Amino acid sequence: MIGLLLAATPALPLDEAGKYVAGAYIVFLVLIVIYVAIMASKLQRMEKELRDLASFAEQGRAGTPGREAEDVPIDVEAQPAAVSDRNLTPSEAAAGRPDHARGSADE
Amino acid sequence: MTPSRTAFATILAKDLRAELRTLQSLPAMALFATTTFVIFRFGLDRTTLSGSLAAGVLWATLLFAALLGVNRLFVSEREEGGFDAIRLAPIDRSALFAAKATALFTYLLVLELVVVPIFALFFLGSAAALGPLLAVLLLADLGIAATGTLISSMAVQSRARDLLGPLVLLPLVVPLMIAATGASEPLLALGGPGYHRFGTWLAVLSLYDLIFLLLGWAVFDFLLED
Amino acid sequence: MYGKGLRPLSIATVVAILTSFSLVFFYAPLDADQGFIQKIFYLHVPLAIVALIGFIVGGVFAIFHLRSGNRRWDAYSYVSIHMSVIFGVAVLITGAIWAKASWGHWWVWDEPTLVSFLIVFLMYATYYPFRYAIEDPERQARYASVFAVTAGAFVPLNFMAVRMAQSLVHPRTFGTANGGLPGEMMFTFLVCFVAVALLWVTLVKLELTAKSTSGQLKRLRRALDAPAQGGASRIAPEVS
Repeated sequence: MIGLLLAATPALPLDEAGKYVAGAYIVFLVLIVIYVAIMASKLQRMEKELRDLASFAEQGRAGTPGREAEDVPIDVEAQPAAVSDRNLTPSEAAAGRPDHARGSADE
Repeated sequence: MTPSRTAFATILAKDLRAELRTLQSLPAMALFATTTFVIFRFGLDRTTLSGSLAAGVLWATLLFAALLGVNRLFVSEREEGGFDAIRLAPIDRSALFAAKATALFTYLLVLELVVVPIFALFFLGSAAALGPLLAVLLLADLGIAATGTLISSMAVQSRARDLLGPLVLLPLVVPLMIAATGASEPLLALGGPGYHRFGTWLAVLSLYDLIFLLLGWAVFDFLLED
Repeated sequence: MYGKGLRPLSIATVVAILTSFSLVFFYAPLDADQGFIQKIFYLHVPLAIVALIGFIVGGVFAIFHLRSGNRRWDAYSYVSIHMSVIFGVAVLITGAIWAKASWGHWWVWDEPTLVSFLIVFLMYATYYPFRYAIEDPERQARYASVFAVTAGAFVPLNFMAVRMAQSLVHPRTFGTANGGLPGEMMFTFLVCFVAVALLWVTLVKLELTAKSTSGQLKRLRRALDAPAQGGASRIAPEVS
């Protein structure tokens, strides 16, 4: 199969025409790579945000605001998401949250 | 009359009356077009025009005058709360589209009845082409009326409304302009009006009009939902 | 779940592109008229066709959005148009390179398909400022759908008008325009077309997955009562 392909290969003319064809295919490649780069930066941003949210959620369960979570496990799914009570204003805390869909998980 | 037809007639009458009452924009537009012709005279360094140059100058000028007119189409609705009134009324919203498009069409036609003879006076040797040119003008006006109403009804509710309408409308009317100038070029030829592919171009114009009139009629409901 | 099926799809795309490039350079015969330059055809034309189909698809999604009111369709419409505009950039650049190689000028007005494509590109380029200028998200989605439908109807009309405007005396077309392709060239062309189409679908799916992930993050953020993060896009519709 490879032999057949190689046998049919026309000799690549490395003259003017070759440069234009190469240019066109390079443009195609570069556009794809630029897209990959943009996606990569989006992914990076999302990773950072997820990391922040994870430490935020851990702080909530620890109950002490401002405590930094040192080691954020890479597998974020191990931490169940919890609705934190930390941001309640005093009046809301007193009234209680009627639509508390998920109780805070006790670890 | 059905409620829709009443609404149509009312809105149309209101627009036309408003235009007649203020009497401002039509003479202003005619003046704008005339001055544009003068600029072309010097820009192209020509005192007579024929063929493709004539078609180009005429249609470019008409198009830009139309863009200015389109911008003003829904201004009164926006400022005086007309949109809400239409929304509350139990009528077919497409009646608004029909009324506005008719108003715009009438406006363009009257504008051209003034501007085209001036163009002929300035640049053409004879008025022989003006008769068949009317057919092209009518069909092109229908197309601009349909697309102009559709786009300006959205642009008027946006932030950059004076810029957005022309920005989106201009590429949209390119096929219309191609057909209009294609039909006009032989009409304005030096030796007298020619009709090379005249029927074909009129067919293209009609197709454009049909498609966008139907489209505008069909989607206008979605523009007024809230 | 937008990411489902993304891996097999992207693998298929890689295989298809690899195959098509190999066919272009090792299998397809040299064109008698244009020589090696003709190889650009296998890249430029599939990109153009896929981009145009993408615009039409964007219009179809827009119709679904208008009829159902479900904003998901607006997101699909936006991403389809967005991807086709990007492919359109590639079409215009490769077209210019082909023109320079064939006729010595970076741009020619004699090639009706390229000119038509430019006009379509200019039309869809206004999609972004149009969306940006409408502040209310629900209205923005509705109006954008009307735009997408209108522009979709415009595409065939435009191609027809430009083609008709061509001077019948000296039409310039890129040598191997679809008619009269010998067997090996046609086969190569079809494989390239499939590869580019797969690429389009993969990238659209990738984009939607990224948007969906971002939407899930927002949802999580809300659920955790975490302070909101600014920087939401004014144009791109959200997916959740």
